[in-house]
Amino acid sequence: MENIEAMPERLAAFLADQTGRSVTVEAYVPMTGGYSRLMARADLRWDDGSVDQFVVRGDPPADQTMIDTDRDQEWALLNALEAAETVPMPSARWYDDTGDALGTKAIILDFCPGSSLQQILDACDTDFGDHPLHLAETMGHLHSSDRSVLDGVVPAAPSWESHMSELVGAFAAIEGTAHDAEPVLRYAGGYLGSNLPPPMPLTIVHGDFQPANIMADEQGSHLLVDWELCHVGDPREDLGYYNIYSSSSGPNLYAADPEAFLGRYREVTGFSVEAVNQATVGYFSSIAAVKLWGQLLAGAGAMAGGSNSGIMTTYTLNALSIGRQNFLLACNEFDT
Amino acid sequence: MLSRPTTAQILEDCRRELSEVVAPALGDEAVAVSVAMLDEVLRNCAVRTAHEIAWMMDEIGAMTAYASEVADSVEENEAVIAALDTHQASMTESLHLDDVCAAYSTAGQCLSEALGAARSGGEVELLRQGRVLLDERVVREDEIKGDWGFVGRG
Repeated sequence: MENIEAMPERLAAFLADQTGRSVTVEAYVPMTGGYSRLMARADLRWDDGSVDQFVVRGDPPADQTMIDTDRDQEWALLNALEAAETVPMPSARWYDDTGDALGTKAIILDFCPGSSLQQILDACDTDFGDHPLHLAETMGHLHSSDRSVLDGVVPAAPSWESHMSELVGAFAAIEGTAHDAEPVLRYAGGYLGSNLPPPMPLTIVHGDFQPANIMADEQGSHLLVDWELCHVGDPREDLGYYNIYSSSSGPNLYAADPEAFLGRYREVTGFSVEAVNQATVGYFSSIAAVKLWGQLLAGAGAMAGGSNSGIMTTYTLNALSIGRQNFLLACNEFDT
Repeated sequence: MLSRPTTAQILEDCRRELSEVVAPALGDEAVAVSVAMLDEVLRNCAVRTAHEIAWMMDEIGAMTAYASEVADSVEENEAVIAALDTHQASMTESLHLDDVCAAYSTAGQCLSEALGAARSGGEVELLRQGRVLLDERVVREDEIKGDWGFVGRG
């Protein structure tokens, strides 16, 4: 996928092989907006004259990878979620599972013609209307869905306690392999492990729940995209992740009125106020992104060691600073 | 050596060239995002290069002093003492960046072990002092980070 000029011909050959139809790729346009994978929009004309638009989503070169996720698993996950009609999402159509055809393992999905929620919010002035509650509903619907559709597709801890043990344990695991000392991890991991929130049922967790990963169709309905970090976990991980992400890249629709947001979320999910409240969202704001952060740190370490390069790795070094701040957010044992 | 303009000033001038000359001439959205990211990175570098050795030296002193205090106060202090020994063994008078980074890392390990020992020992006041050091580190990182956002996301 790196060789843009070669891609129309390669993609046309791949689709012809997959569908048995002749197709012309009339445009192949790299897409910005995603940080971890290579993406492009492909405009096609089939042999009967009909046209389609798809998104091609594949892995960057190994030495420029910022986040390491599994395309095989993502493909299986997309198919499982779509078959179960878990939440609205673009259809995943084809998969080059070897990379032989497209140069890297790549998934081809329907192109969403609308705007992302991020683009819609960016166009708002200061009044976000019903977007906050709509967002809470979208998240709530995902967390209310049947998580058994992912059985055998993604790993799942046997219990909330073991899931949280792994999540808290990530602090020590990351510290143990870090290229430099990370005292914030020692401190935050110690605090968060000793102050667990009330348990909850494990659910499907999107893992990168933020407005750039929500497309709005013509009716304003939300379609969730970019599922590579999806897993079975504590639903408050998405709440916490959204909160910290949108604090760095606003607007933060949760922070504008946390009680209204959480109230709507609880209505949709049926979760209790004891489990889902501002304090527990604060806790998960500290812990939700720790594994992703660990991957970014590993990329920084690889760059320091000379085995990784590229503007994405360099640019996201700042996300490490944001992450350290976030880890300390919930550690308010001294009311600092 | 030529010391002025400083490295920070030179980097800032590179930023200006990118934003005023290169960026307006770009028609490719993906390249424009890369240039915007480069601008952020150069700004980070300009702040870092102006202060990083002084900041790291400050923190090295504070972190090791704290670790020594914890080592003197808690019973289970073996890991803290080992980290302090490692730091002392690697510390040099050199202010070359690689040497300071190495010392900063071993001093950071002293802080990690001290924080762990303070928590295990239930030393609330020491833990509070350690938290202050972390907060100071975060403040400096924030100064380097500046008004950073996710360029091109959307």
